[in-house]
Amino acid sequence: MNDDFRARARAWLAANAPRRDSGDDDGESGQTTIADQKEFQAKLYDAGFAGIMWPIDYGGQGLTSAEQIAWSQESRDYDLPNGAFFIGISMPGNTLLELGTEEQKKRYLPRMLRGEEIWCQLFSEPGAGSDVASLQTSGVRDGDGWVLNGQKVWTSGAQFSDFGAILARTDPTKPKHNGISMFIVNMHAPGVTVRPLKVATGHSPFNEVFFDNVRIPADALIGEENKGWDAAVVMLRHERIAIGTMGSSRTSPLGFDSLRDLAAGLGRTGDQGVRRDLAELYARGRAVQLFATLLREETQAGRPPGARGSVAKLAGSELGRFAGTVAADVLGDQLAGFDSDDLYAVTTSIIAAPGSAIAGGTSEIQRNIIGERVLGLAKDPGVDRATPFNQLRVGTQRQN
Amino acid sequence: MALILTAEEQALADSVRKFVADRSPLTSLRQLISSGEPYDADVWKQMTAQLGLTGLTIPEEYGGVGAGMSALSVAETELGAGLVASPLLACVLAAEALLELEDEEAREELLPKIAGGELIATLALASAAGGRVTASGSAVAATLTGTVSPVLNGAEASVLLVPAEADGVTGLYLVDAGADGLTTTRLTAVDHSRSLARITLEATPARQLAGDALAALAAAEDLANLALASESAGAMKACLDMTSAYARIRVAFGQPIGAFQAVKHTLADMEKSWELGHAALRDAARAGDAEPGRFSVAASVARVLLAGAYADAAVDTVQLHGGIGFTWEHDAHLYYKNGLSNRVLLGGPGDQLDRLADSLGI
Repeated sequence: MNDDFRARARAWLAANAPRRDSGDDDGESGQTTIADQKEFQAKLYDAGFAGIMWPIDYGGQGLTSAEQIAWSQESRDYDLPNGAFFIGISMPGNTLLELGTEEQKKRYLPRMLRGEEIWCQLFSEPGAGSDVASLQTSGVRDGDGWVLNGQKVWTSGAQFSDFGAILARTDPTKPKHNGISMFIVNMHAPGVTVRPLKVATGHSPFNEVFFDNVRIPADALIGEENKGWDAAVVMLRHERIAIGTMGSSRTSPLGFDSLRDLAAGLGRTGDQGVRRDLAELYARGRAVQLFATLLREETQAGRPPGARGSVAKLAGSELGRFAGTVAADVLGDQLAGFDSDDLYAVTTSIIAAPGSAIAGGTSEIQRNIIGERVLGLAKDPGVDRATPFNQLRVGTQRQN
Repeated sequence: MALILTAEEQALADSVRKFVADRSPLTSLRQLISSGEPYDADVWKQMTAQLGLTGLTIPEEYGGVGAGMSALSVAETELGAGLVASPLLACVLAAEALLELEDEEAREELLPKIAGGELIATLALASAAGGRVTASGSAVAATLTGTVSPVLNGAEASVLLVPAEADGVTGLYLVDAGADGLTTTRLTAVDHSRSLARITLEATPARQLAGDALAALAAAEDLANLALASESAGAMKACLDMTSAYARIRVAFGQPIGAFQAVKHTLADMEKSWELGHAALRDAARAGDAEPGRFSVAASVARVLLAGAYADAAVDTVQLHGGIGFTWEHDAHLYYKNGLSNRVLLGGPGDQLDRLADSLGI
């Protein structure tokens, strides 16, 4: 089965997918339009390569991680134009699979997989990032549904999303973790406003999303009311594993291959320090790749990584930081000012590097998770776990 | 082939771990420190004759088990975790050099005895700063003059393989421990589990081994990287486990100290570094058996990562135990010294990176 699948995958990719060109990732979903991406994803789905491990009942292929690994390996040299669907499928998608009702799974998952509907994740707020449990977006009962009011931030892809998985406070009288619910929200509903958020690189991969009396129906609830924190933990676990096992492109501007070529081009490979830096970068990059492979193998062997996904996420962002220092060594004072188009991608990547230590859970949070859930260490001394939310001081906003 | 251990490899790991716990726990190392002996002869006998550890990388035709590099890595990881003092590393490197050379007489003479644990052999591999030996005379009746230091188990070996230059050409020479003009001086080893010596040769009789000496030395250096990376990975995991356990029970300011982020985050980073080094080690072990063309680079990667990671973890282990971690009675200093030593033996960080850069064609 696996060999058959691999052969089919290889043939399909060769006929349908664009090969990777040299690193020119501008930080957004490549140069392809959303329409192009939807067309590609539909083809991918119809050919039987979307949702490889998802159940057939919900649009998946019902296969194992053997086929998933085969797909990852075969597609590594291709630049698949479907980045717009990554968040939805790996996070809300996997969470609905675990916690959704039969109706929710049947209604949303196939269309998500086929790229017909795009999803975003609505967790962080201006006053609640690492401490997302202190969120203030409210969900107030209205008939058998709810009304949402508040603001989310750092929402990737909100500008083209159809649906979102949102965390809202449904009971402010309970301690912060116990009064949160997770809902499905229609991003086209009246009262939803999306505003792009520009970052240090000059790009806008994220958004602010405002909710002004947005009504949601009874069947929008994911899991149980006021048990949204548990659902959030499920989704965050998927996020770390997804990011951690993603693997990087061979043509990444901060990868060994690119920096070695850059150093050679700039005549820097005679410098012993630069050579040693590059060798060390090679070693660290290989280790991150190999660890991602190891986690996938363990999953296949029936031992899913759980909180060790955070190790992979932390390792990836630390690698980026190190790669930035190596690139700086190679570039010398051209990092201060340059006029060659060739240097745009690498300098942009250096500027972007700190972001990966913050997005998807900061490195500090990842270290807390590793310490507590992998090593069994005690939780941070906390003063607010048992206090009713409406008595807490939170974020930078006024209290409810 | 998959990175994760096969069932057989897991069984080998379990049996070596049990052996270490039953026959050579850390208290054994303290006894050696007191007695001054380089290793425990009974433990060595069991490691070799019963567990067959010296024969893991020696083919069956020469009296070994032919289990391969990954098996050796698995065994060394468990031995490293227990800081087991033994001439194992010296023997497997000497054996590797013999296997890479083409001296059939030497192979048939020496390998079965190494595999059986009856003969301790060592390869006098040293850094450029570690000494130089020149050879003169014929291949069968050569004489060697010079110094090499440090040499693994140089004072315990019955047979030494010594690299030497004759007219600018490097050869490998077989020297008997009792040979004329050979002096071995045991060094003060920072790492209590490592016995090292300086060997001095003055017109010492030797015979040249047939075959490509440079290739044999390179093969031994690659295996040394895998072996030291394996020992370091095991020792580092022992440090991580010991320190995490302490952080769960030691209380300060009303909390187990692991609750505080300064402690928690240091341990989280240690876990991360171990996981990355371990993944690289598994890849190198697999390459050693299945993809020899890329073994050198893979072993260098594992060594580069684990040498630094373990040294850091060992010093963090002292730190996170507080004052008690600095006492003689606590085991932390044993790992700290092992970490210092493992990092610089048989090619320190700078040399390793230069070598890796060369291999990568930078």
